[in-house]
Amino acid sequence: MKEIIAIIRMNKVNETKKALADDGICGLHAMKVMGRGKMQVDFSVLDSLGAQEEIGGILADGLAKGSRLIPKRLLTIFTKDTEVDKVVKTIIKVNKAGNKGDGKIFVAPVLDAATVRTGERGEAAV
Amino acid sequence: MIMIRAIVRPEKTNTILAELNSAGFPAVTKMDVVGRGKQRGVRVGEVVYDEIPKELLMLVVRDEDVEDVISIVTRYAKTGEKGAFGDGKIFVSPVEEAYTISSGAKGL
Repeated sequence: MKEIIAIIRMNKVNETKKALADDGICGLHAMKVMGRGKMQVDFSVLDSLGAQEEIGGILADGLAKGSRLIPKRLLTIFTKDTEVDKVVKTIIKVNKAGNKGDGKIFVAPVLDAATVRTGERGEAAV
Repeated sequence: MIMIRAIVRPEKTNTILAELNSAGFPAVTKMDVVGRGKQRGVRVGEVVYDEIPKELLMLVVRDEDVEDVISIVTRYAKTGEKGAFGDGKIFVSPVEEAYTISSGAKGL
């Protein structure tokens, strides 16, 4: 079992969900997060976009705190080992625009899983 | 590669982020969380607050950088010289693969 953690742009979530559902991966967990990458961001450009952007409010929030972080979505997907490649490829295909800030994907091992409703353990629970 | 998750006081995140940046660890993801620790929350008189707001910082770094990051976070997340209950926790877990979406390249 593997945990796939993908940090992607906020406006790509729906496309990503759809593409994953087409692949047969329906279970996922999404969170609003703030983050930064290796690139230093020119915040004057973002400031000039201001409130016109859909993300303007959240962005202003992040800037006000002085933490200089960009709003992103974090998707967590638990899959069987065999499906990791497929999921990673799909996420890259949908989210790749070739620009810095498109996001990152991390693959981490998971020891065990359980379904709350049935009590199933291991691969069957994923 | 190693994933470091640090749960810290919200008022300390700005310092920690600035210090991590100047130490060469610019990439980080932050989320708001609530939680409690071994002290079972904060008790004020009769009332127990067991959903204390914290911020979770998530970094993925190379194996050899783990100690650096942990020492930076512990140094700047600490309250005062000795530290206090509620300063936070750091968890370290393995990451097998990382991909950059913009290039599709493997690795950090």
